[in-house]
Amino acid sequence: MAVTASNVRRNRTWPAVRLGLLFISPWLAGFFIFTLYPIIASLYFSFCQYRVLTPPHWIGFQNYIDMFTDRDYFMTSLYNTFFMFIELPIALILAVAIALLLNQKVSGISVFRTIYYLPSVVPTVASAVLWLWVLNPQYGLINRTLMMLHLPTTEWLSDPNWAKPAFIIMDLWSIGGGVVIYLAALQSVPQHLLEAAELDGASSWQRTLHVTLPAISPVIFFNLILGVINTFQYFTQTFVMTSASPGGRGGPANSTLFYALYLFQNAFENFRMGYACAMAWFLFIITLVATLLIFKTSARWVYYEGEER
Amino acid sequence: MRRTNALQGFYYCILMALVVAVTGCRRPYDKPGVIRITIWTMWIGHEEQNFKRVLARYHQLHPNIVFNDLGGVGDDTQTIRAIVAGVPPDIFTLSDPSYLGPLAAEGALMPMDRWFRRSHLNASDFIPAGIAQCRYNGKLYAMPYLLDDYALLWNKTLFAKAGLPVRPPKTLSELERDAIMLTRRDSHGNLIQLGLKPLDDPFILCKDFGGRFYDPAHHRITADCAGNLEAYRWYANLIKRLGGEDQVDGFARGFGQDQGPGNPFFTNKVAMMVNGEWNPYWTYRYAPQLKYGVAPFPYPDHMPQMARTTFFGGNLFCIPRGSRHPRQAWKFLVWAQSREAQVLFAGMMNNVPNIRSVLKAPELRHGAPYKREYSKYLDLADSPNGHEFPVLPVTSLYRNQLITAMDFVLYGRKTPQKALADVQKRVQRELDRWQ
Repeated sequence: MAVTASNVRRNRTWPAVRLGLLFISPWLAGFFIFTLYPIIASLYFSFCQYRVLTPPHWIGFQNYIDMFTDRDYFMTSLYNTFFMFIELPIALILAVAIALLLNQKVSGISVFRTIYYLPSVVPTVASAVLWLWVLNPQYGLINRTLMMLHLPTTEWLSDPNWAKPAFIIMDLWSIGGGVVIYLAALQSVPQHLLEAAELDGASSWQRTLHVTLPAISPVIFFNLILGVINTFQYFTQTFVMTSASPGGRGGPANSTLFYALYLFQNAFENFRMGYACAMAWFLFIITLVATLLIFKTSARWVYYEGEER
Repeated sequence: MRRTNALQGFYYCILMALVVAVTGCRRPYDKPGVIRITIWTMWIGHEEQNFKRVLARYHQLHPNIVFNDLGGVGDDTQTIRAIVAGVPPDIFTLSDPSYLGPLAAEGALMPMDRWFRRSHLNASDFIPAGIAQCRYNGKLYAMPYLLDDYALLWNKTLFAKAGLPVRPPKTLSELERDAIMLTRRDSHGNLIQLGLKPLDDPFILCKDFGGRFYDPAHHRITADCAGNLEAYRWYANLIKRLGGEDQVDGFARGFGQDQGPGNPFFTNKVAMMVNGEWNPYWTYRYAPQLKYGVAPFPYPDHMPQMARTTFFGGNLFCIPRGSRHPRQAWKFLVWAQSREAQVLFAGMMNNVPNIRSVLKAPELRHGAPYKREYSKYLDLADSPNGHEFPVLPVTSLYRNQLITAMDFVLYGRKTPQKALADVQKRVQRELDRWQ
């Protein structure tokens, strides 16, 4: 009897499923043709010598071996990318701090919120062009200010030691996007917990540390994961801002040659699509590992409401 | 019942999409005998308009040829994608000539030698470097239509102000002396005027020292040859004496755009620069008061035979495999070499004709006030010391590597020997993969 019943149910649902599939078929076709197929193809190409104009031919692990024997470029780009991870904790602490300040009940607070959020509205390319001038060694806002204060100046993007820190400073300018998310989280911190802590005699610092921060930890976790992924893919800023470098994009002296930029150059300038695919897969793997590691540790510091601890 | 309606609606949508797609593909109606040539070029704005005039003139001479022209294809990978997809234009310009090598090596372009012979063109009529940059492995894969060449521009007023004799440096030691004398700082030690604008690339300098980039007989990259090494050393020393790369590049970041009144040469921020033949016209347009001169790039003191060294770039036209009208496209390229076509386009673009006899054309040399200095570029184009970058499948990588190598040297990260040896090794290895 039971078998017949389930058959009936299947008969009834299958046409509906078919119709549903039919209706999302444009999306499915797009996904299979333009997303899944290229991903699988790129894995295949990563084992090939592929120059785009002629069909790829299999060379085994050669591309992967080449990657790790290329010190000046591949290793440099990897190092430069890892260097940018310095930005993550700074951005995180700053964004949370600003969000805490913007969460105060002060008159005109919405004006401040707007001011801090505004840079995030500026497209990356536009802000890169703007910062070219802010960082300009002679006329730039930063160096002019330092000079007025009789402080030492640096050549920023013209100095291989300062080019990456310059990028970090520039990125910190637009942390408003993160701030808004933290702010939203702060406003949903359970009021009763804060009040209870206050009644127990907790200082405002203790309340922040033991109530507010744990309460927003899922949001910090979310931003951290996004930050890691974005840092691995760091590209637009250097693509736009170092195109005028005497040593070409990624200059000076390859100090801003980030992983994604080098990948791009191999794919579209050096006709080494196979190598670029191998780089892309390696990037995918390290991003995956980093993300998994953060997920693993998250059990220790991320609190979800209603969760038993 | 409801299901059938939904299905019908779905099929109806698909049908509508197809109808729209098909009507969009309809070809324009042409009279019989008319041939449409699709041509993609890198030119935009004003220059695109100039090229449209050239096409209009050709259409006037050959009314059955109609051009579908698309300008602004500054990204050659767009064209490459079109070739791979099997829908290439009939003829196109290479915005970055570095792509000629890989395209030719991969068989994406029509070889032109047979057509060249049949059309009674004569290679000796061409500026040698101009036609050499169209050949890959001895075979012709592109045709030039106007060239660029490079010379030294020097600011007469700044020379006089610095107490220097008002004549351009002839040798590299004179250039170095003048560049240092013409470099000025404010009270804080910041640069306010640089004697020589930093070079965009070291190629002309390498050639000046008798350097070579490639040995075709042995299929060898010659990045680390003695001449290149000397060139790198000379330039690194010059930059050091001008204040070091940090400072020089930091100053250069304040330069305005080259095309426009903000060009550092027009605003007295640099006293000399090595640049192309379009500058006399730009000067006339953006800085008409500027007193300047054009002179050949100086030669090393011990190598007077290197006088009048220049380096060429140019506009290259290619016919891709899969072009629907290769012969008609070729005929246009043959016409482009005629005196009329060369004078017409060079007159509008202020570039250098690639046919030697046209260099003397009075139409190009007289008229507007800037023509006098522009003529010097025309004279220089016929110099026996004119060079081009070799056409290789790895040209793009090679050029970038040489430029980055200079960067490493200027920042003191590598010695010239080490930097060039690294380029040698890396580019040779890459080249070997193509053979």
